[in-house]
Amino acid sequence: MSSDALVLFALNATWQIAALALLALGLGLVFGLLRIMNMAHGDFVMLGAYAPVLTAQWGLPPLAAIPVCLLMVGLTALIVERLVIRHLYARMFDSLLATWALSILMREGAELAFGPQFRNVPLPFEGVTQIGTVGYPSYRLLVIGLVAAGFLALWLWYRRSLTGLKLRAMVDNPTLAEGAGINTARLSAGAFVAGCLLAGLAGLLLAPTLSVYPGMGLDALIRSFFTLIVGGLGTLEGLAVGAAVIGGLQAGLSAYLSQTAGYLGVLILAILFLWRRPDGLYRHR
Amino acid sequence: MGSIVTVNLALAAGLLLVPWLGGDFLAWQIGLFLLYGVAAQGVGFAWGRGGFLPLGNALFFGLGAYGAAAVLKATEGALWVNLAAMALIALLCAALAFGIALLLFRGRMGSGPGFSLVTLALVLIAAQIAETTPALTGGFNGFSGYPPLAGLDPFGGLYPVIVALVVAVTLSLTLIERLPAGLILRGLVAQEERLELLGFAPHRVKAWAFAGSAGIGALAGSLYASHQGIVTPQAIGFMLSAELVIWAAVGGRFSPLGPLLGAVAIGWASSALRDTVAWWEVGVAAVFLLVVLLQPGGAMDLIHRGIARLGLTRRRRDAPPLPAPPSRAAAARGPLRLCDVGLSAGGIRILDRLSLALPEAGILCVIGPNGAGKTTMLNAVTARLPVQSGQITLGAVSLGGKATWQMLDHGIARKMQIPTVFGALTLRENLQLAALAGRMRGLDALRPSPLRWQTPPVARLLADPEVPLAAGLDKDAGHLPQGHRQFLELAMTLSPEPRLVMLDEPAAGMSPAETQLMVRLARDYQQQTGAAIVVIEHDMHLVDALADEVAVLHQGRTLATGSLAEVRRDPLVAAVYAGGHK
Repeated sequence: MSSDALVLFALNATWQIAALALLALGLGLVFGLLRIMNMAHGDFVMLGAYAPVLTAQWGLPPLAAIPVCLLMVGLTALIVERLVIRHLYARMFDSLLATWALSILMREGAELAFGPQFRNVPLPFEGVTQIGTVGYPSYRLLVIGLVAAGFLALWLWYRRSLTGLKLRAMVDNPTLAEGAGINTARLSAGAFVAGCLLAGLAGLLLAPTLSVYPGMGLDALIRSFFTLIVGGLGTLEGLAVGAAVIGGLQAGLSAYLSQTAGYLGVLILAILFLWRRPDGLYRHR
Repeated sequence: MGSIVTVNLALAAGLLLVPWLGGDFLAWQIGLFLLYGVAAQGVGFAWGRGGFLPLGNALFFGLGAYGAAAVLKATEGALWVNLAAMALIALLCAALAFGIALLLFRGRMGSGPGFSLVTLALVLIAAQIAETTPALTGGFNGFSGYPPLAGLDPFGGLYPVIVALVVAVTLSLTLIERLPAGLILRGLVAQEERLELLGFAPHRVKAWAFAGSAGIGALAGSLYASHQGIVTPQAIGFMLSAELVIWAAVGGRFSPLGPLLGAVAIGWASSALRDTVAWWEVGVAAVFLLVVLLQPGGAMDLIHRGIARLGLTRRRRDAPPLPAPPSRAAAARGPLRLCDVGLSAGGIRILDRLSLALPEAGILCVIGPNGAGKTTMLNAVTARLPVQSGQITLGAVSLGGKATWQMLDHGIARKMQIPTVFGALTLRENLQLAALAGRMRGLDALRPSPLRWQTPPVARLLADPEVPLAAGLDKDAGHLPQGHRQFLELAMTLSPEPRLVMLDEPAAGMSPAETQLMVRLARDYQQQTGAAIVVIEHDMHLVDALADEVAVLHQGRTLATGSLAEVRRDPLVAAVYAGGHK
């Protein structure tokens, strides 16, 4: 392999890993903090990905996609939390089923509202950055940078801030946290909405690199899920490890064999982990 | 029995009327959803009866369909060859499912989301393979160009075959509910831990349920191949799996007919309305969400409740009891011995080289302050917690590496500290399950008579006027007061006539009179069977009345053994109980 090909492969793998980490972040947050398997996660990604489609349709500038995305996803998440999720805290299996029903509802709703056709979202800016002799799309490099910075910021915030402390208290012992004067209902609602907003933002950022259609959530959900399973549910570090393994595996198998092999490899790895190491690679403590 | 025949005859008659009343095309449409409905019945069986949700059952439907299509192509429609081949495919699918479930459930995976996600991943893999290997499956275009089963016209002669499958599956599923197998499944969902202590291996029970679910799905799939004349990756995909779950949920997963009803009603209505009513699919999804949140029993649950309110349920007559066959737990195996057993959990050493030899017969009371490791010792013996060092032996046999469900076959039975009974089942059903424990073999699970077995210990308890069980046999065990629950659990523990009985705080939450009764029952059982009994207890009056021998545990070790009087004189014991240091 020439050094150019190697650099390109490394960039592609990094891109895959960053995209996966971004996709899985919201799901990991909701599961880690609330013990809810949000099967509708992918559909919040889908909703976010429709934001640039809608702003283009309405003739707004591309940057308007950000507030549109936050508003649309945030409101949906708020309503969903009130009507569905609130009754399901600490009921993991029921939450899986209910959010799955919700996922179908959102997918069918999106088909009704936006139509079933595939949409293409143009890159907000074209342009290629030269790395050595290899040219790589600047947008992807920007996303990689944003993901890395975002992860670091989130990790620091969770460890250092007062809200982070309250969240950690709630995860550790919800009853005691409530007894200590923490409004866990509001905190839980906030955590769920935040997780969905992250999913929406992931959709927004990745929209130019995916085809946007109502059923796109399933693929996003599955890839996020399996990232979390391999890494270990519930921690940022685990999520990063999982994204690295799954993204690396997929990039490697796709480069050397085929797209199908990459997909199958990820599925088989996920099954092995669910079976033999349900706690994933990264363990707490 | 009569009601089952009535329901199934009515079902068969109603379905056979469809082509006559609505024409062959309607029958063809209904036929498709009946096949989907049978697969949904399979999902409902695993989910409602087995308590675990398979998210990828289209895997077996699709394997059945592709398999049948390949067989039909190779044999050109020869009837008996085809039927035999389809039965074989269904058996293979069942065996595959059995193996998958056995592997998955034997580990740490409970009935929770982990299993569902694995089945989801499996169906995604299958769909991907179906799409990308055109040589084998015809790829996206599908597998076609084979004759239908026995040359039957999908718009005519095939329909009665489909109805026959529907009735056969519905009949089998309703019958299983009335057989020991159905009772064991209900016990599994109600209280897995108790079922395991009664000697049933939960992972095997679940594997049988999943095998049944998969076999049913494969049978439906194999007829689907003849019905459609083409098999595409859609038959093995995630979307179909998802719809099977929705139909089972909305129709009612706890009833054999519910998923069938759901599939035919929703599926057929969807195919008719999907194109004309824009919000139809949104509506179906909303109904599914509402069912999950508010009506977990689905439509059939509403129907059953309606029937019950109208007073139409028939009371079941009680058949006279039959004597139960001998129990495997009753054979003597020698005394229990713990030797240098060490066990830590969460970084805390709970058993610290604990050594204790039990007498082969008689009552040993284990006492000691809270946290001494008494209950943990029982957990170590019954393999609820893994032992890190040392040996636990029963006579010449080492119990190391054995699972909890194997303990009963070694003659060990246990009453838990918090009384553990099948709360969702009636007292009678609790005792029926206990009568099967240690006595049931192979095909007994599919014969009705084992449900009438009565065991000597339970017969004695029911005949005892002081024991408060005989009066309320048809009440749910979950509604019993604490004291009565203790007696029920005692009855279930003693029912298999174990040689080693472990009673963890049997008198907790009991009145003095009830405590006395408990003492008498334990004594009686010991004298009648010559068994060994270990009792963990804090109540010294009870210890005084019951113990042939006493062992004192402290900080995970045996501090003293002997008669209660001897132990009381021991200065070490006095120091521990007076709050001094060892």
